[in-house]
Amino acid sequence: MLTRRTLTFAILVGGFATPVLAHHGWRWTSGDNIRLTGIIQSASLGNPHGVLQVDADGEVWQVEVGQPWRNERAGLTDDDFAEGREIVIEGEPSADVEERRLKAERIWFDGNLHELYPGRS
Amino acid sequence: MDPLIETLAASDPAQMMRSGRWIYAAVSGGHVLGIALLIGAIASLDLRLIGLWPTVPVPDLARVLVPVAAIGLTLAMMTGLLLFLAGPADYLQMRLFLLKLTLIACGTGHAVWFHSTNSFARPGVALWRVGLPSLLIWLAVLICGRMLAFVD
Repeated sequence: MLTRRTLTFAILVGGFATPVLAHHGWRWTSGDNIRLTGIIQSASLGNPHGVLQVDADGEVWQVEVGQPWRNERAGLTDDDFAEGREIVIEGEPSADVEERRLKAERIWFDGNLHELYPGRS
Repeated sequence: MDPLIETLAASDPAQMMRSGRWIYAAVSGGHVLGIALLIGAIASLDLRLIGLWPTVPVPDLARVLVPVAAIGLTLAMMTGLLLFLAGPADYLQMRLFLLKLTLIACGTGHAVWFHSTNSFARPGVALWRVGLPSLLIWLAVLICGRMLAFVD
């Protein structure tokens, strides 16, 4: 009985010890901002968050933008993320820069600023 | 893209799930509630089957926990389908998602098999052999589901 009980608790504890990798929140990012200028190649918008493929001088970056309500609050519509349009993004890159993944905090289209996370610097 | 996936992604519920703020939040919350009911009930019953709390009668416990788990599973499946509709192609290309669906099929099949061939009053098999695989499968489902948000 004791061994079965020990096994059970080992399983439960193991379940909570799973490492957290990336994606939601800010824990996967570097903590420092970079600015990226590029051309939108494709956009996949909607919940739980939108993702753009952006070509910056031949390097393709995956840029996470907001979910629909966040983009809307920043004054952006789905049509703004049109293929071939130039976009300037400021945000935090993945802690592993080789991943070329960026979480956008603010976006400029034609020089107009759109704040996805107002107050976040 | 597969025509079926395209049709699914273009459907009204899918568009609602993709663009709505509170509907997506409510469905996510419902999914968590379903998982809480399912795992809470299943883990309690499975731990009893494995050997914890030997003085608690299994049939009495099962009379409470089996329906709670079944309701939780139903709720999690219905809300899960809606969450899937927000990005069917994205989910289907994730191996972890396919693994999760396979594990859910195993867990559900295992439960249906047990309840259709056995009763807790007169089990024809050592109960820990039923509880342990069930516990492992459903914990694996939960871990797969949570990790979907953290991998590509």
